[in-house]
Amino acid sequence: MKNITESKSGSKKELERKKLFSDAFKYLDKVYEPNLRNILKRCYQCGRCSGVCQVSKVQKFTPSKIIQLILEGFEDRVIESGVLWDCLTCNQCLKDCPEQINFADLVRMARYKMRHEADQNPSEMVAHKGIYTTISELMSRPYIEPDRNLDWIPKECKITDKGDTLYYVGCIPYFNFEFENLDNIASSTLKIMCQLEEEPIVVFKEESCCGHDLYWGQGKIKTFIKLAMKNIEMFEKAGISTIVTACAECYRTFKIDYPNIFDDFNEKFKVKHLIEYVYEKWKQNKIAFKNPNEDDKVIPFTYHDPCRLSRFLPNDNNITEKVREIFKEFKKLGYEFNEMLHNKENSLCCGVSSWMNCNEKTKALRYKRMLEAKEAGEIMVTSCPKCNIHLSCIQNDFENIASIKIMDFSEFLVDHIEVIKDEDNLEGKV
Amino acid sequence: MSKTKRKVKKKDFNPEILVFCCNWCSYAGADLAGVSRFQYPPNMRIVRVMCSGRVDPSFVLKALKEGADGVLITGCHIGDCHYISGNEYTRDRFQKLHQFIIKQLGINGKRVRLEWVSASEGKRFAELITEFTNQIKELGPFKVL
Repeated sequence: MKNITESKSGSKKELERKKLFSDAFKYLDKVYEPNLRNILKRCYQCGRCSGVCQVSKVQKFTPSKIIQLILEGFEDRVIESGVLWDCLTCNQCLKDCPEQINFADLVRMARYKMRHEADQNPSEMVAHKGIYTTISELMSRPYIEPDRNLDWIPKECKITDKGDTLYYVGCIPYFNFEFENLDNIASSTLKIMCQLEEEPIVVFKEESCCGHDLYWGQGKIKTFIKLAMKNIEMFEKAGISTIVTACAECYRTFKIDYPNIFDDFNEKFKVKHLIEYVYEKWKQNKIAFKNPNEDDKVIPFTYHDPCRLSRFLPNDNNITEKVREIFKEFKKLGYEFNEMLHNKENSLCCGVSSWMNCNEKTKALRYKRMLEAKEAGEIMVTSCPKCNIHLSCIQNDFENIASIKIMDFSEFLVDHIEVIKDEDNLEGKV
Repeated sequence: MSKTKRKVKKKDFNPEILVFCCNWCSYAGADLAGVSRFQYPPNMRIVRVMCSGRVDPSFVLKALKEGADGVLITGCHIGDCHYISGNEYTRDRFQKLHQFIIKQLGINGKRVRLEWVSASEGKRFAELITEFTNQIKELGPFKVL
């Protein structure tokens, strides 16, 4: 047995590890710019980012100042101070930036730098003692083959290993460790999909994490690339062409971050969020909405836009409009859709991103969001399981907001969907 | 991992095992094992914590991530906890850790174990370590690159 003090450098182990990482190194340049100045040169210090920044409302944080410091050549000071661990990467600043400077991207690269060049370790800032990010990291290892629990699958749904349409579940089975009722999201989504697809849906037992939290929150870009390679290999093996997910973070990662690294990802796989999926089927006249309980009471509800489905997507992606169109239809069913004060691209952040910065300051942001929701309705629908977790968490602390029911989009929809069969369609035409 | 081929021969393999001992019972038990000169394999490293309730599931995962082949958590017997109910929390937490995380990650459940050792059980501590080390040796290295 080796001594604890004995250094491992130069050993065979090290060489093998380097070999494994070399693949990840190849792709690193595509998503990482070593000189942070290069992505900020267009900035002319209008200071709008500091004005709209959601973190700046609860603590001292000025994006414009940080940008100016980097532009003037004090990048090392910014990196050393570790101030960029505080950013929520909600991308509100990008929305208002006249020069389209992506501050969240800067934060992501700076975090990589802070971790690998300044040797900072934010493990104290990671919520739940970093258990979920550790799980993601473990999954990137080649020797881990997850064996996930599939008990949540409803009895009437058939699943396979190989096929055309994949339901990418995400981290939900692991969240059962601390959170309750999240299985419901997965089972409702699968129920909706089962009714609409003739072929059985693919659900992987050995699915890995998409790597979103490591990419944005932890600055572990290489681990992210390894996870991406593992995932893509799995998709290709199963012969998948369409990926449907109910998670906002997975959607953004597959839609934009994977194609950034692997150019032909988008040609090979079609990525859809459940909202898009339902919207398409609805427009094709394959589903209708119905109300199972016939009450006359009108239930007011509202929708919380996750940042990953609004500000994080390119402008031509109108998911925020699509979901509202669906909700307009719900007016016939005894529901009333109300907007919150901040909505669509301006919606407030749920206060935590990638398990970073769950503290008393960001709790204030969440409380503010819940107060807005309370004014708008009894039910709050969201399409990001993480927003669901973070906002439900704050309900335990304050009694006045505990009455709001937070639901996922899939949970909200599952009882209100009616499949129109082709025969019915024909009769209607005649 | 049972599926992967072992590069190291069974005899040469020296597992790296992390043991969390609670200050009041198990650490004293380990101490007693040493004082009484009971023999046990030297493959383990002890981390002393004040109570087994201090051991968060994330510590176990981090140990596995950093290359430990097995993790053993020891604490006072139920009812004997110095802090009245610390070990009860640990028990509940580890039942959940096994069910939702260790199993779903595809890690062999035998690699992570929770045992109760009191201060007077020096012999049992030595036996436990011997048994656990042999078990890990049989399973082979966790990290096969």
